[in-house]
Amino acid sequence: MDPFFYLVIVAGAIAGASTGLLGVYIVGMRIPFIGICISHGAMAGTVFAILLGQSPIAGAITASILVSVSLTANRPYKSRLDTNVGLAILFSLTLGLTFLGMGLLKNSRSEILGLLWGSILFVKRDSVILIAVMGILLALFTFIFNKELKLLMFSRSIAAATGLHDTLVYCAFMIVCGLILAVNLKAIGGMMIFSLITNPAAAAYQICRGHRSVVITATLLGATTAVVGFLLSFYLELPTGACIVIVSTLAFGLAAAYRRFINSD
Amino acid sequence: MSGGYIEFSNVKVGRSGRTILNVDNLNITDGQFINLIGTNGAGKTTLLCVCCGLIKPDTGTVKLAGVNLTSLSGWRKVSLRKKIGYVPQSAEYNADLPFTVREVVSMGRTSAKRMCSVLDSRDYEIVDSWLEVLGLREQRNQTFRSLSGGERQKVLIARAMSQQPAILMLDEPGSNLDFNWKKRIVRIVEKLHKQTSITVILVSHDVDLLPTDADRTILMHNGQILADGSSRDVFESEKFDKSYGCKFKIVDFEGRRYILSCDK
Repeated sequence: MDPFFYLVIVAGAIAGASTGLLGVYIVGMRIPFIGICISHGAMAGTVFAILLGQSPIAGAITASILVSVSLTANRPYKSRLDTNVGLAILFSLTLGLTFLGMGLLKNSRSEILGLLWGSILFVKRDSVILIAVMGILLALFTFIFNKELKLLMFSRSIAAATGLHDTLVYCAFMIVCGLILAVNLKAIGGMMIFSLITNPAAAAYQICRGHRSVVITATLLGATTAVVGFLLSFYLELPTGACIVIVSTLAFGLAAAYRRFINSD
Repeated sequence: MSGGYIEFSNVKVGRSGRTILNVDNLNITDGQFINLIGTNGAGKTTLLCVCCGLIKPDTGTVKLAGVNLTSLSGWRKVSLRKKIGYVPQSAEYNADLPFTVREVVSMGRTSAKRMCSVLDSRDYEIVDSWLEVLGLREQRNQTFRSLSGGERQKVLIARAMSQQPAILMLDEPGSNLDFNWKKRIVRIVEKLHKQTSITVILVSHDVDLLPTDADRTILMHNGQILADGSSRDVFESEKFDKSYGCKFKIVDFEGRRYILSCDK
């Protein structure tokens, strides 16, 4: 088997595991649309980086972090503006900026669209190393801020009222989130990242008891669905992204059925 | 932890041209049990938020444990809030997540400990002792989301207590509970107050929820303190009748106090 095959499997496993782990916190904070919001932020960043003659990946990372950090400005318990509304506003803005940039930029649109529909089949060795490093960074971050992130997910008002620097932790999480999504985008594409964030975590929340088991289940499920989806697409000669999305949705469906019919804890 | 005292002077909070809180002078001393009562929109929650420093008053000063909250910023304000144990209204937490009861209670240690530190066995001793006190030992490995409203309220009280706060604030702890559970929650809070002698501020619009042991009842109306004194004085004052629009009477029955409301 050619080495490219294993490279894709490793990339899929790492991307699946890190987005699965990230998803635990994103779904727990009820902001799944941040995936799509950051994807479009990264697209806008890429467009403007090309326009300004800068490196596209640097543009994508900068814009992703800008988008995620600007969410921090909204503190729902004070402003009474739901984070999802903030996400919708940011999403429309980044989409508008992308189209503006594309209007200004006459060629190389394929690079931008590739970011949204990016394919794991064209993953490069360098980017596998990059997403692996980012995955380790995420794991460290969630370990160090474990108790703070748990409280933030449970209740931001309690966190704020009882002496947790909630904005600081939230901001740090958002930066990590922007980084992870930006580096994974190029490897797996914005549309697929959305399902890889949401489905494993949502499935884990259906069947698990306790935070630790959610973290482990979502991470393993993320890696497994990415690899199984890729293998299916390889042997059945079907589009890879679509297969991964369908497999991960299926995993969620099974988890929901388990909770519905077997054990609703 | 001591230092559960709060002083307000000339505090005013305005929203869109309307004064929603106007407290000239309020002293809450260490170890008091305070019943903060008033109709919806009287300014009770705003008062709590000002106590925690979550709302900055437009004028005046608020001192928590002798430190002026209004002039502090950033880290020092955050660490001063560690003195506050807070039981929020039910809309303020996410009960869908599969946290176990023990995990929720151990979240109290999050506020008590330094950022990024890991909970150790001493923390879990404290957590387990509060689980024991509130009778939650059997349920400690169940998920929080599988509990009833009353049991959840007990878990949240245990969470707040495991933080070892100087002040325990409860925001409408009985608002979605049946009559029996309301009584139970109030008795639990009374018992905790007796055992630990921390300052308790119990916020409620519900006169049924009056703890018989409250040292002091503060009645709020339109952002102002209308009456402040012993529970009996406040509940039987005319001001109280006016604020709620009906008459009340405190009746002692078999060693406990009950409030009767009489329709006009």
